[in-house]
Amino acid sequence: MCQHCKDSSAPNPSHFEEGDGLANSPAHVEMAWSEYNELIQGMRFFDPHIHMVSRTTDDYQAMRKAGIVALIEPSFWVGQPRTGLSSFKDYYSSLVGWERFRSSQFGIKHYCTMGLNSREANNEPLAEQVMEILPLYIYKEGVVGIGEIGFDDQTAAEEKYYRLQLELAKEAKLPVQIHTPHRDKKRGTERSMAIALEHGLDPSWVIIDHNNEETVKNVLDQGFYAAFTIYPFTKMGNERMVKVVEQYGPERIMVNSAADWGISDPLALPKTAALMKMRGISDEAIRLVTYQNAIDAFGKSGQIDVSDFESGLSVEKTEKFHGNSILRGGQQPDVSKDSLVIQ
Amino acid sequence: MSHIIKTTLWEIISQNISDTESGWLTEKGSASPIELMTAFVASPRFLTKKIVNVDQEQETALRDAIPGFTVTGWSLVRTARVWLLTRLEDSDKDVFIKNIETLFDTAEMNELVALYSALPVLAFPEQWLFRATDAVRSNMGFVFDAIALHNPYPAKYFSELAWNQLVLKTIFNDKPVHFITGLEERENKNLALILSDFAHERWAAGRSVAPNVWRLVSKFMDETLLSDMKYLFASRQLENQEAAALACYESEYAPAKSLLWEYPEFEKSINEGALTWSNLEFTDLNTYVPTLQR
Repeated sequence: MCQHCKDSSAPNPSHFEEGDGLANSPAHVEMAWSEYNELIQGMRFFDPHIHMVSRTTDDYQAMRKAGIVALIEPSFWVGQPRTGLSSFKDYYSSLVGWERFRSSQFGIKHYCTMGLNSREANNEPLAEQVMEILPLYIYKEGVVGIGEIGFDDQTAAEEKYYRLQLELAKEAKLPVQIHTPHRDKKRGTERSMAIALEHGLDPSWVIIDHNNEETVKNVLDQGFYAAFTIYPFTKMGNERMVKVVEQYGPERIMVNSAADWGISDPLALPKTAALMKMRGISDEAIRLVTYQNAIDAFGKSGQIDVSDFESGLSVEKTEKFHGNSILRGGQQPDVSKDSLVIQ
Repeated sequence: MSHIIKTTLWEIISQNISDTESGWLTEKGSASPIELMTAFVASPRFLTKKIVNVDQEQETALRDAIPGFTVTGWSLVRTARVWLLTRLEDSDKDVFIKNIETLFDTAEMNELVALYSALPVLAFPEQWLFRATDAVRSNMGFVFDAIALHNPYPAKYFSELAWNQLVLKTIFNDKPVHFITGLEERENKNLALILSDFAHERWAAGRSVAPNVWRLVSKFMDETLLSDMKYLFASRQLENQEAAALACYESEYAPAKSLLWEYPEFEKSINEGALTWSNLEFTDLNTYVPTLQR
């Protein structure tokens, strides 16, 4: 399984890093689905960080097939700076509108977190305007937190809007999903936590994201949730993830894919679960880090009703509920990808 | 807006909620516009997820006040949101319009459903025409359904062009046309001809057309449509043949009558009342799957 990962050092363009763009190296070498699907038979997954706006319907179908029943799409940077308030509005609306609907068509329950991302906090005139409209979106149905917010370059402007949004989260009684920086990560993470505590947030309401072996201990020791992003090259590999769970146990740890427009993997959870299973991690621990802990953390928003997805968000059920087909046209939810003929 | 609508909606809501919920909603229903609008957004955080029960009397009261208006099958949140909108201060037209537009601009999917469901009961109905046609353009199924199905607003206010688009998109998306309010009253020649063209495209692709849609052509039967009827009779698919029989039966066009005589068994079941359009009112359509019979 992932031997080739070690050989590759090419940067991967993602929203985490500038990456100079050349996607000339393969993503991690995939163990064939047929080889690992047996291992995760009957498991279901909750991906608490994935940017579906950048993903295709093929991904949705594969995710559903692999047992992903619900996900959280944090609001983030879209790959280039936005030039006006309307782009923010339309983006936020899409997270609770079109993207939510698109997901439902594939039987996956879609939640989101709302926030002003750290990069664009640096455009202060625009950031001011965004802060004015943000309260319109954070009380929406299915908004399970403020996120992803935090530090990128660790500028004064980033700190200002990070603090303002922590106050907003307190006011709205919402969990916070914190993006930790790539550069100067350890100190950036410590600083994010210190500021959250300074604002009086309960650490069990705060999810510190994109952890690694160096940051995790302090995050857990202070009572925060520690999220790990399985993302080829720039973040965690899932073999390392297995070791983290072996060392720290499953409590307050959650795994996500943070899949976006870069070379990333929407099946990071099922793949990591399969790997954990192979390495002898208990089913219960796997369930906690790939499903339950995320629900417990973000469920504090009061916006997650597990009965919506615990037995799979049934497309048929939704269909019946609304009295007619929800699919555009009569497209089949499962189109054979191997068939030469397209009907 | 009709007082009966307001009171009936409240009656339905109050028999479907707890005292705590009722207290919250009553308070918000009399609050300032901003607070009321925030409550519109936040209602899923305060109200149970359930479908409302509606008595026959209440159903009738709503329909009497606004023909075609119904809340049957609505969730409590949707019903409460529409009720809240009926409580929004509308004495100043400009302010009211601005408030509703703000709700539309920032709405998530279920809020859009509630907003479109509320169009028949909102003040200044002509103001919402563009929004309503935008919902028809939506690819969010639930949003489209909120304007197109069981909603009396389009039949009352849409132009023929907008109406025909609504009907066609319903058909195109395999949704049941018989759920469209005012379908029969708004039949028109253009729609019938567009349907014929649409059917030809479908047939060329090896796909089918929901048999129920042929109810829209009988009044406008001409040579072109008659040849479609012949095609349907020849299709060897029972529902298609039944649709052609019903369309010909209802038509005043003499050649259509003669065509039906060639199929006396269908004419007989129509005369006996055994065959009506309701036999063809399917809700689980999938006309994109290639048909095998040809």
